[in-house]
Amino acid sequence: MNPLRFTRRNLLRGGLAATATVPLLDARRASGQTMTYPTRFVVFATPNGTRNSLFWPTGTETNFTLNTFTPDLAPFKSKLTFLKGIKLNPALQNGALGGTLGSEHARGTGGMLTGRPLKSGTQFKSFGNTTSGWGSGQSLDQYLATKLKPNTTFPSLQVGVHVRDTEVRARISYAGADMPIPPREDPKDVFGALFGMTTGGTGMTDPALARLWAQRKSVFDANNAETERIKALVGRTDKDKLDAHLSAMRDVEKRLVGMTGTGTMPGGLACTKPTMPADVDLKNDDLYLRAGQTQMDLAVAALACDQTRIITFQWSYSESEHLFSFLNISGNHHAISHDFSSSGANYDAYNKIQIWYQSQFAYLLGKMDAIKEGTGTLLDHSVVLWATEIGESTQHDLLQMPYVLAGSANGKIRAGRLLDYTSNKRDNNQMLVSIGQAMGDTSLTTFGDASGATGPLPNLA
Amino acid sequence: MRPALRHLPVLIPALAIALWGCSGVVGGGPTGAGAAGTNGSGAAGNGVSGVSGAAGNGVAGAAGAGAGVVTGTAGDGALATCPTTAATPTPLRRLTKFEYANTARNLLGVDTTPVNDLPADEVTEGFNNNAGVLTVSSLHAEKYVLVSEALAKAAVKNLSTLTGGCNTTTKGEDACATEFANSFGRRAFRRAVTDQDRQMLMAAYTAGKTGGSYAEGIEVMVRAALQSAHFLYRLETTAPANPSAPLVPISQYELATRLSFLIWAAGPDDALLDAAGRGELADKAAVATKARAMLADPKARVAITDFYNQWLGTSRLDIMTKSTSLFPQYSDAVRDAMKAETPAFVEYVLWSGDHKLSTLLTSPTAFVSSALAPIYGVSTTSATPQMMSLPAAQARAGILTQASFLAVQAHPDQTSPVLRGKFVRTKLMCQTVPPPPMDVDITPPAVTSAPTARDRFTAHEMAGGSCMNCHQLMDPIGFAFESFDAIGKYRTTENGATINLAGNILAATDTSLNGTFTGVKELATKLAASDQVRDCVATQWFRYSTGRTEEVPDGCSLTTLQDAFGASGGDLGELVVAMTQTDAFWYRAPYSQ
Repeated sequence: MNPLRFTRRNLLRGGLAATATVPLLDARRASGQTMTYPTRFVVFATPNGTRNSLFWPTGTETNFTLNTFTPDLAPFKSKLTFLKGIKLNPALQNGALGGTLGSEHARGTGGMLTGRPLKSGTQFKSFGNTTSGWGSGQSLDQYLATKLKPNTTFPSLQVGVHVRDTEVRARISYAGADMPIPPREDPKDVFGALFGMTTGGTGMTDPALARLWAQRKSVFDANNAETERIKALVGRTDKDKLDAHLSAMRDVEKRLVGMTGTGTMPGGLACTKPTMPADVDLKNDDLYLRAGQTQMDLAVAALACDQTRIITFQWSYSESEHLFSFLNISGNHHAISHDFSSSGANYDAYNKIQIWYQSQFAYLLGKMDAIKEGTGTLLDHSVVLWATEIGESTQHDLLQMPYVLAGSANGKIRAGRLLDYTSNKRDNNQMLVSIGQAMGDTSLTTFGDASGATGPLPNLA
Repeated sequence: MRPALRHLPVLIPALAIALWGCSGVVGGGPTGAGAAGTNGSGAAGNGVSGVSGAAGNGVAGAAGAGAGVVTGTAGDGALATCPTTAATPTPLRRLTKFEYANTARNLLGVDTTPVNDLPADEVTEGFNNNAGVLTVSSLHAEKYVLVSEALAKAAVKNLSTLTGGCNTTTKGEDACATEFANSFGRRAFRRAVTDQDRQMLMAAYTAGKTGGSYAEGIEVMVRAALQSAHFLYRLETTAPANPSAPLVPISQYELATRLSFLIWAAGPDDALLDAAGRGELADKAAVATKARAMLADPKARVAITDFYNQWLGTSRLDIMTKSTSLFPQYSDAVRDAMKAETPAFVEYVLWSGDHKLSTLLTSPTAFVSSALAPIYGVSTTSATPQMMSLPAAQARAGILTQASFLAVQAHPDQTSPVLRGKFVRTKLMCQTVPPPPMDVDITPPAVTSAPTARDRFTAHEMAGGSCMNCHQLMDPIGFAFESFDAIGKYRTTENGATINLAGNILAATDTSLNGTFTGVKELATKLAASDQVRDCVATQWFRYSTGRTEEVPDGCSLTTLQDAFGASGGDLGELVVAMTQTDAFWYRAPYSQ
């Protein structure tokens, strides 16, 4: 372990000659005049729904008991907010044209963070050829990255574990309609992007690195100018595509030319540079835990080092057929999730898998809560959304989504509660609005499709 | 031209579904246009049930009182008839990872392993080249920079080869760099370089040479080209002579580019660019001749087989998992042998054999390497695929019984009559099956402990109720595949019970397909004789080669393609060539601002 120093500019060189640098110096840090830590947003997405009878806590808003599916969340109970009674909005329930565009798994995935239905699929057909298109708008993580413009190396980070699939059901983050953002699935790639290989250590730039940066800069400048010029020669839709291209290039340019943001962390970062992860065979389902925990370690380090404040962390894909032989389960997750038995091998297997995912959520929260920031922790300064694409798995239900928030978002969320909206159900749009507000976009009142209710969730803040 | 009664690219015939009341109307096709009945007005063996007088593509007449399932291709009506009067807007096509690698290899002569770092392309309608969703995310942007740097670094290790042997001693470094900007820039951007291109490339050269070297200058120039939108996208920005014409003829260079990506999945070489520069791609006959010649080039093999891998789903072998406890015979070596077989078989049919779709569907020939031999119950010590016949008792038939196909069209832990039946229904018959409707209780009957998949699936999905209505379209086809397990191994029993291979096709638009059969071999024989299947394969090729789904204005192009494929007797090489004879290939839509 190699604690980073923040009193001077250190350079980190990547395996491919400086893929990234860690921003290490900010004069404001040294002065320590303010103790406001940035608020972070993490999405923790697991596949194949839940089983309501074993998931939801019982009891009252402030005095509740965790259920069978969440034993490992007990240490964080005071920092959790269970959101019961949230449905996907009518457009997502029904699909864009009033029909069922895409299965519930696909709609629940594309709509998870966009609050919008899938496109109609006249052009796109996905999900095993059923008629559905891709997500029809920007997801909350991308909206916030664009709106809040955090001064971090990465405006947002998409991390995946064994996602593998590349269809609609495998994408939760969208730059815009038809613009899904793929996650990084290889821990070495995440590490390389975030932390490079070694520090320069002397406060001086490596001359070869400075040279590469200058060359990159000139190539970026020339090509971006040309792409701007081309925009005038193509149609409107293609122009949108080129705008997204330019925006992506500008996103990466700063860090690839050594001009990364420096963050605004008061009093220095509680940040430890992780070590280079070992090779892990990403095709081996038996190594799910190792791949997942390595990715979580890197994600937490990225937050602690203020490399990014927005992360989507995705396990497998919706409708996942991941195998859990390491839990002595022979069937695949999705098949098991549709076994309607109320006892027996598949009933037990589904429960075991859900509890396994829960333990990974607990692992993430534990890591975040172990990072001390001032008088609180990284978890306290975050809002972590645990989401899945459907509710009750056997039913493909979209009317009771098993959402849990963790962290208090710097005091914006009163955590440690079971909020039950069942008697007056709320739309997922409202939850997205609430998270947006908690992240600092205080003027946000609507997000996603207009069929959903507006305003934040009541009684959350 | 056959103006009417063609097999619909995407259609569940209303007549049959209506009788079962498959719940949930899908898509935006016109409803109520068809009449309930057993044959609509479509003639036997032709395709448009329940639609009279329409062009016959993309329209499904929903019959019955709101119970029909309709999935019009374009969602909004009949495909146009010939002649073509307008072009479908074609989204800007970003190179796929596959195309990027092929193009970079041809341009630079380097190992393209660094290209593996690009994100996998999103899959739409089974194909990873659907232009609408191929965008550039921040992850792509980062990788485009880093991959170009790795490729450029490797390329300048053979500087003389890269620069065509330009002698810097006699000509001077800068003159050689300019020469390289012209020649390399032309191939990278797939057209004659402009002054602006040259300035950009030479500026990159200068950034590398200043304080560095000639080689470094060339290296930075290569990076700059590979990061340019002119390289990363297939831009078609040549200004039309008549900007308001609904059909915009593309330029010679743009046509050469379409042709090259169609057949080589890569940018054009110097010879093709020269031909375009001389205006030799001016008529359809010339382009057909060129296309045939290009098909004979080895570059065509990897490109064309990619279509088959995506169509069959065998491109998913890389992300497929199998339970090691249930399938101890499966391993990475077996997967690699599966990955090798399908392209070898496709190459055999298209380049060595009779080129026929019917052969692709029915040939008993397999291409087996040692790792795959135990799966097929044969023996070979060869590390590469060896052509051989499989035991007759297994009744294997073409692509549908290859281990690769059977394994990807299955689950990690069990076979799937649904997936296999759905492949036949959607990818060979071009009919769409809707997803389970949201408002219907999908609770199936209690699980039985029945030993065979047929029994289990019948209990779950075929026992009546809403599930059965749509599963009838898939499962009875898929049951015939049950003699092959989830890794493609032949079997006669499952859990001790004898497997029943009886199958049934319902609701085909080609009514000769309808009815019962036994086993995949009989199924394949039926499919091989069907013009619905032949038309469907042409439709799949149309989608793949245009990078989009067919739309209303494509009607004439699609029927032209299908007719040519039919006239050739289902010649898969001629199918490739026939795409170059369509209006969709020769024109683009005007750009709306």
